[in-house]
Amino acid sequence: MRRPLERRIVLVALLAACPSIIRAAGPSGAAIYESRCARCHGVGGEGTEENYPELMVGDHSIAQLAALIAETMPEDIEQKCPPEEAHKVAAYIYEAFYSPEAQFRNKPARVELSRLTIRQYQNSVADLIGSFCRASEWGDERGLKGEYFAARDFRPEARKIKRTDAEVHFDFGEGSPDGEKLEPHEFSISWEGSVLAPDTGDYEFIVRTEHAARLWINDKERPLIDASVKSKGESEHRAEIRLLGGRAYSVKLEFSKAVQGVKNPDNKKDETPPAVKASISLEWKRPYHTAEVIPSRNLSVTDAPEVFVLRAPFPPDDRSVGYERGTAISKAWDEATTESAIEVAGYVADHLSELAGVSKETADLEAQLLNFCHTFAERAFRRPLSDEQKLLYIDRQFAEAVDPDLAVKHVVLLVLKSPRFLYREVGTADAADPYDVAARMSFGLWDSVPDEALRNAAADGQLASHDQITEQLERMLLDPRTHAKLREFLMTWIKVSQPPDVSKDPRVYPEFTPDTISDLRTSLELSIDDLLNSKAADFRQLMLNDSIFLNGRLAAIYGAELPKDAPFEKVRCQTEHRSGLLSHPYLLACFAYTNSSSPIHRGVFISRSLLGRALKQPPEAVAPLPVELHADLTTRKRVTLQTKPEACQSCHSMINPLGFSLEEFDAIGRYREIEKNRPVDSAGSYTTQSGRVVEFNGVPELAAFLADSEESQAAFVRQLFQHIVKQPIRAYGPDCWQQLQQSFAANEFNIHKLAAEIVATSAIPPE
Amino acid sequence: MTNHASRREFLRNLGIGAAALPFALNLTSLGFASTTTRRKRLVVMFSPNGVIPGAFWPDEEGDTFAFKEILTPLEPFKNRTLMLHGVCDKVRGDGDNHMRGIGCLLTGTELFPGNIQGGSDTPAGWSKGISIDQELKNFLQANSATRTRFGSLEFGIMVPDRADTWTRMSYAGPNKPIAPIDDPYQMFSKLYGRMKDQESLRSILDDLQEDLATVRKLVSAEDRELLEEHTAFVREMEQEIRSETGTTAEVGHAVPQLEPKVKRENDNIPRISKLQIELMVSSFAADFARVATLQYTNSVGNAQMHWLGIDEGHHHLSHEPDKNEDARTKLTRINHWYCKQLAYLAQRLAETPEPGGSGSLLDNTLIVWTNELGKGNSHTLDNIPFVLVGGGLDFRMGRSLKFPNVPHNRLLLSLAHGMGHHIDKFGNPDFCSDGPLIGLT
Repeated sequence: MRRPLERRIVLVALLAACPSIIRAAGPSGAAIYESRCARCHGVGGEGTEENYPELMVGDHSIAQLAALIAETMPEDIEQKCPPEEAHKVAAYIYEAFYSPEAQFRNKPARVELSRLTIRQYQNSVADLIGSFCRASEWGDERGLKGEYFAARDFRPEARKIKRTDAEVHFDFGEGSPDGEKLEPHEFSISWEGSVLAPDTGDYEFIVRTEHAARLWINDKERPLIDASVKSKGESEHRAEIRLLGGRAYSVKLEFSKAVQGVKNPDNKKDETPPAVKASISLEWKRPYHTAEVIPSRNLSVTDAPEVFVLRAPFPPDDRSVGYERGTAISKAWDEATTESAIEVAGYVADHLSELAGVSKETADLEAQLLNFCHTFAERAFRRPLSDEQKLLYIDRQFAEAVDPDLAVKHVVLLVLKSPRFLYREVGTADAADPYDVAARMSFGLWDSVPDEALRNAAADGQLASHDQITEQLERMLLDPRTHAKLREFLMTWIKVSQPPDVSKDPRVYPEFTPDTISDLRTSLELSIDDLLNSKAADFRQLMLNDSIFLNGRLAAIYGAELPKDAPFEKVRCQTEHRSGLLSHPYLLACFAYTNSSSPIHRGVFISRSLLGRALKQPPEAVAPLPVELHADLTTRKRVTLQTKPEACQSCHSMINPLGFSLEEFDAIGRYREIEKNRPVDSAGSYTTQSGRVVEFNGVPELAAFLADSEESQAAFVRQLFQHIVKQPIRAYGPDCWQQLQQSFAANEFNIHKLAAEIVATSAIPPE
Repeated sequence: MTNHASRREFLRNLGIGAAALPFALNLTSLGFASTTTRRKRLVVMFSPNGVIPGAFWPDEEGDTFAFKEILTPLEPFKNRTLMLHGVCDKVRGDGDNHMRGIGCLLTGTELFPGNIQGGSDTPAGWSKGISIDQELKNFLQANSATRTRFGSLEFGIMVPDRADTWTRMSYAGPNKPIAPIDDPYQMFSKLYGRMKDQESLRSILDDLQEDLATVRKLVSAEDRELLEEHTAFVREMEQEIRSETGTTAEVGHAVPQLEPKVKRENDNIPRISKLQIELMVSSFAADFARVATLQYTNSVGNAQMHWLGIDEGHHHLSHEPDKNEDARTKLTRINHWYCKQLAYLAQRLAETPEPGGSGSLLDNTLIVWTNELGKGNSHTLDNIPFVLVGGGLDFRMGRSLKFPNVPHNRLLLSLAHGMGHHIDKFGNPDFCSDGPLIGLT
């Protein structure tokens, strides 16, 4: 299912240029076609006027074509094409232009009308509503604001300490956080600030304490966890909440060590309270992770405004071409947009006084609400309303509804069901329309509607030139939403955004627990965040970086000198055999079996994702050779044996030698020199699309090749383009891809600059 | 809600009259025709702080008895009322009597030890067990013949906005208190929100089609296909919405119109009470649920009934000694007011026909009015007020019964059996060995 289209594109190149086996067996299909067929049929099967003026397209199979050719071709020569060569030519023309798939592929690409993707929809409604609230600010101070009270409640006059706590993970024992200021049997603490959700998904928040506690996330009125009553010694409280990635959410945690309820009841006036223990921790379980104390890096002392997080589920977007896109709709999608519109309308109705800045006492209430609706529609449609549009979307709704509150609901429903909101760019003839340009920029970097600065720039005609656009983009790059989008891209690029099952055979790898897997994913995310946060943001460093993020638990497995409970820190790889993401244990474990490494999975990953090569599915489903069947063979030998047949070799001659170079790492990504009592052989090679054979031994040499390879750079550029723009790169002119590669190189492979260049290029598309 | 001049006007204002007409004319319609077995409903109404026993319990036993002062609002329903004296909450353990009073009232079992300190005794947490209303809800929902949209609805009136042992009566299970909904508008949107949304959708459909038609013309021929597909989906949605023959098909009556913007504050308790009762009656008429609770304030609730000219809080007054005549009078009037709410609920149920069946909603509903204490100033858990109204569980009504100090678990068992759920113990089994109360049916 993965990218059939792209696979085919490169397959032509692959057949034409690379595999040595074909060369060994005589000229390639392409070569034969060129020398003996093209004179009549044209170089691309378009035909020639004098001999065969027809386009060579159809739906015969390769075998049928081959038989036909062997029997009849060349028409003007007695000696017909030998069957072996006929088959090669048939295969070539089939792939190159004859087959229905090839015809489709050869059609010029165009920018297709697209609806918002799910991510774009969710972000758009969040920002649409957020645009009526104060802006969010993440700030530089990590941790939460802690206030400590010498009382069981949170009366300001009882406050004794104000400080910033990096994280909430305290064990006070039977004592007090501060012996001088707080009594051990009765004190309370409140923590406030915000928490940054790195990814979109369901987050489980966990409060552990023996005492009373309440936790608010995003919603400042209704606690997510209300554990003010402690019952049956329950000390763990969990609740789930959906969050959008790249955004900060307000947090408040209250903790009280004291008997709640009636103070000093008659029967206990003179009793000294017994000594009891107190601890409190604030944890979360992020998507694809196990529970952890919320780390300081995700906390801020700055408060955050409420974010509207849509709950209505959507059917998944089409990802068959390698990126989420909105070129198809379905009944389920239409129903989801209805559910969502109802949900947003309900939220707007419930929060109308804050959003519209009105109260029941507002004198010109109806006029104010009308204004609010007008602004809402303009922001949703990403452009000003014409007079007719205002009449339809706003005035008519106010005229027809029984009261203004209901009119607001109707406007929101109509606006969010309108194609002007649901689709990108309907109804403008001018490609350089400033409002479209602004929307391309904001959807490009944020998957969301334009913010105030962009709206103003569009209105003022400040988005006309490349320079003006770039200036805005520089500001936009710093937004956490850009970080979230690029991070999501990198995780997709390395195929772990929705990770496979990484668990291993516990008899072989007992240390590879769910916590270890979660830590490894964190480690990988930290590497990516670290790179994206660096000024250089150098693509090559993804391959070449010689550091890795480890905590105490991982250090014990992957070899680093850290205390057992050490938090994550960046450490130099202890072995010179590691380099960048390629040797990151999480990736190595993802591309491995439960009990052994898998050079094939690793090789396929490098070929497809990193080098952008197209690979066909295996001709038939093949089960891997069981390890036990060849107990004495190394993995390398076993794989070689399994893929020996010629049918396999057309792809595995590329896959295997790439994967073998990672053989120094086992199924959980630990370095090894010996497998099955034999030294590991990590020699590998790769034949480039231009036919150059590159050899390398081990990861660092492979990584060095990939970092500098134009193939991997080109593949990266194309994938990032399509992730950002959600349209095929070929639709943006024949030179677009190459120009972006050149600018990527000229900018020292800076990923931010590439993203900005992609957005700038696509913001004013070719006519 | 304003005073209604007549029942007819009252019904009309509620929007119930027209839709109820088919039932009044004895026509079956709207899918209720297939209902064969009789519906049975249970309502538990709670008011706090005990009662004044001398102004509450009839002196007589049997079917000839006189209502004392507090109970007089029930006169019109006297032959459908059953008073149970001598039923006692025997559950002990952690927590003070107010906490256990409400926490064990419907659960019949102890509270967990915890961190909530009452006015005396040891601190406690939540109840150790499910409450009888939820037990019956689960029982009814497990069977497709008795399953309803919500199963149970938990109404509140000015329940303090904090979750603790004093504010929770219903439990979905051990440590699983259920918060009553004390905002009528929130309850309304739970009951009818979906329908209101459909109405809104319906009202924008024409404009949406117009919009799509305009936009369709603006895109290229290649892209138009997608928008045509989209238009077809919107048309399908339109057909789906229009094919629902309006709201009545779903609820069996028109959606009640609520008096708008009644704030959730002490002095609005009478208005909120009325709104909640209307919503409960509507939800029964629509068969949204067969079990409901109606919780006035909370255990130790401190409503200040200014509308009766009483400025002291209810809980505060309830601690006054017997010899304080003023307090006695006020407490009697406060409980009389609660009884009026009960009578109003009974009246509304009695004047609403049973959809698809015979008689009224009250014929098939049993209301149980109860309290966390027997008497406020002694904090006794003996002689918990249990006043039963209505024909829902086939008890023999119109009587005053006096039991010899029996555990209230047995009454909980009676309620279960009356609803067709034949369990032999509920809550703490030590209090269940004698089975359901004898002589109710």
